[in-house]
Amino acid sequence: MSSAVLSLTNVSKRYGDFTAVNRINLSIPKGSVYGFLGPNGAGKTTTIRMILDIIRPDEGQIEVLGCTSAMQVRNRIGYLPEEKGLYKKMKVWAIISYFATLKGMHRKDAKLRAFELLEQYGLKDFANATVDSLSKGMGQKVQVLSSIAHNPELVILDEPFSGLDPVNQEVLEQLIRDLKNNGQTVIFSTHIMQHAERLCERLLLITQGSKVFDGTVDEARAIIPRRVILECLDDVSALAGLDGVLSVCELPVSSEGRIPGTRQWELYVKEQTNPQMILQHCFHNSISLSRFDFTQTSLHDVFVHLVGQEAREHNFR
Amino acid sequence: MRVTLLIAWREYLENVKTKGFWIGVLLVPIVFFIIFHVSSRLATATPTRYYLLVDQSGQYADSVESAIRREHQRRVMLDFMRYLQENRDETDSVVAISNQPANQMDELLDNFGNDDVAALDDWLSNGGLAFALQMARPYLRADTPDFEEPRPQFVAAVPPPGLDFNASPEQIVETLRPFLNGEQRLQAGDNQVSLFALILIPADVDSDIVRPAPVPTGMADDTTPQGVQYWAGNLTDTRLSNAIQTSINNAIRQQEYTQRNIDVDAVRDVQRTRLPVSRLDPGKVAGDEQVSLADTFRQWAPMGFVYLIFISLMQSVQYLLSNTIEEKSNRIIEVLLASVTPGELMMGKLLGIGATGITTIVAWLVSFFVFIRLYQTVETAMIVQILDVLLSSDLIPYFVFYYVCCYALYAGIFLAIGSLCNTLKEAQSLMMPLMMVLVVPILTMSFVAQDPNGSLARVMSWIPLFTPFTMMNRAAAQPPMFDVVGTTILLVVSTIAVLWLSGRVFRQGILRTGQPPRILELWRMLRKRTT
Repeated sequence: MSSAVLSLTNVSKRYGDFTAVNRINLSIPKGSVYGFLGPNGAGKTTTIRMILDIIRPDEGQIEVLGCTSAMQVRNRIGYLPEEKGLYKKMKVWAIISYFATLKGMHRKDAKLRAFELLEQYGLKDFANATVDSLSKGMGQKVQVLSSIAHNPELVILDEPFSGLDPVNQEVLEQLIRDLKNNGQTVIFSTHIMQHAERLCERLLLITQGSKVFDGTVDEARAIIPRRVILECLDDVSALAGLDGVLSVCELPVSSEGRIPGTRQWELYVKEQTNPQMILQHCFHNSISLSRFDFTQTSLHDVFVHLVGQEAREHNFR
Repeated sequence: MRVTLLIAWREYLENVKTKGFWIGVLLVPIVFFIIFHVSSRLATATPTRYYLLVDQSGQYADSVESAIRREHQRRVMLDFMRYLQENRDETDSVVAISNQPANQMDELLDNFGNDDVAALDDWLSNGGLAFALQMARPYLRADTPDFEEPRPQFVAAVPPPGLDFNASPEQIVETLRPFLNGEQRLQAGDNQVSLFALILIPADVDSDIVRPAPVPTGMADDTTPQGVQYWAGNLTDTRLSNAIQTSINNAIRQQEYTQRNIDVDAVRDVQRTRLPVSRLDPGKVAGDEQVSLADTFRQWAPMGFVYLIFISLMQSVQYLLSNTIEEKSNRIIEVLLASVTPGELMMGKLLGIGATGITTIVAWLVSFFVFIRLYQTVETAMIVQILDVLLSSDLIPYFVFYYVCCYALYAGIFLAIGSLCNTLKEAQSLMMPLMMVLVVPILTMSFVAQDPNGSLARVMSWIPLFTPFTMMNRAAAQPPMFDVVGTTILLVVSTIAVLWLSGRVFRQGILRTGQPPRILELWRMLRKRTT
């Protein structure tokens, strides 16, 4: 794909017997916002480090901005690592400007750009403060700014939202949108699905080093069937016989917000099924519903569906 | 190259901004100044010592008193010489200083008999000093302050009431013991003073005179004190006891001469006959072979350079380790590695911190020069001359070369260590063996300086970790060409090799987390091919 800014072909990385990344294929179109999703220890950071040529893959090819090594095009890439850190004794503007000069910017331009960014994202008053006087969240914002100060074509952010309060998470989301509107390609990793849902056009979902999904958000949602929740006094298991309904099962009793004596049912329906049809059927059969809930499948559900079991096992191993 | 310089510059600025750097830069000149200032003041500031002389034999009191006067005269003369030197009108004639007037003065005074000292004393106190000052006046600067005769350092104390001079020595000592221990104080004018020393000459002291015997009598078994008893709590200030010993022995010998009918004057003349020994250096050009003070200094100067290398290296090592570990533990390293190669990062650090070290040395030298220009005394004037000799010698290029090599060699190793550790604590345990290695050239430094071309020096020169120190130390002694060229090649090759290997460890170590690697793992790192 000629418009791809990044492509990975059969990329693997092993540490001794442990396979961190297993034969991943990937292609990221220019100007897109791309999410790397996966549970802790899935191999997101390793993949990102390989993309940046900080570590070498054991096999496979990586092409970044038309080159085989990110080092050759390092000035066109911006990177925010997962573990955030800055020089504690440096001034805020100086650190942004320093990283920009390392990326090839002229010293004066870098300084101007640093102040411009700090003003744009509400940190103007801290421009002359030293890093160790900043809060953790502010430090992280500064680090994000220092990774984009040189206007990179490709921005890679590893867990950019972790540690930010909701307000600053929104600021960061806006920043990512600004980058996209500017024609820059953004890759970010996260395990907070809401961000991915709001920002990403495409997603990569990896677990235990292997790719389990790569596609658009809608495609991801289509992986698990749509769901209808019914609450009533009757047994509605007969609804399973309806055309377009895949399964019906009763959910375990939980008292939360439920009218006493009602039962709760979960129906999985086909993608193209109109939920109106179920409502009509209930009406005709005099089933009185106290709740009818048809929701979009959330990315969260997809995530839990795809990696839930493994992630849980992994965590409690 | 551009990013290497950027990293170096940031590294340099960061270090120069730290408090530790300024403490290092300022502390050395300040300590130097204080030591210099205090030591020259201390000589005059030594408190007055009060002594008590009890001469039951009635023979040696004069000798002891004259010894003490002679000690005082020595100080007066020295102070006067120094006063002349410091206040001399023409500044360019300081050349003469290195002729060591102090030693000549000692010689002159030692040649005086006791009577002469008394005469000198009288002469000075009766206006001799004033006369000498008047003679010197035309040669002194207009703003010269008056010469202040130093206070006598040893003053006879007033014996405490109740001290019986004719009691047995044991009783006298018992009576005075609380005074000597500082438990009681003596009255001196309006002041209470402590007794510094008791010189007790028993009546039968002559029976203890030791004469040469054909068969040595061996060590005496009894521990009762013999001869003149010198009681003092202060064991370090031996000037008084030495002076007394010399002077009493002189007096005894005078008696011996008389008893044996030997012409005392002839003996004195014989004793004052001397043949000078000229120290010559075969390495110097014909006609200029005399070993001067500057030559001697030049021979010892390399030790100063070795110290300078060592101190500067110690300082740089701290920066190298702490900065690398800061970047590692803060994970800044990952951002850096997305922007620069590990090689560029390492070189940047080496350059930046090397520049910090050089700045420190330059700052020290500048403050040293400023100090000796502003603070003109006999000693600093001498240092100026010696420095002139030193700067025109070939030691400076040696120093620059060995400094650079030594820094690159050790910095490479320490950077590799820094890259493997996450905390300074971890680094310190890894540093320990290297520190031991570094101490070796410092411990052997004076041996090497005394025998610059001996086997120890030669063997150590061929061990690359010691080469910069040892060869610097030997630099003034014209080491064989084979050693110079051979060790230089070996040093340069091993420096390059160490930097290359450190680069490998650095590249792999820098992203490591967790415990520092074991030896086997380290070996694997060195061998692993990373492109």
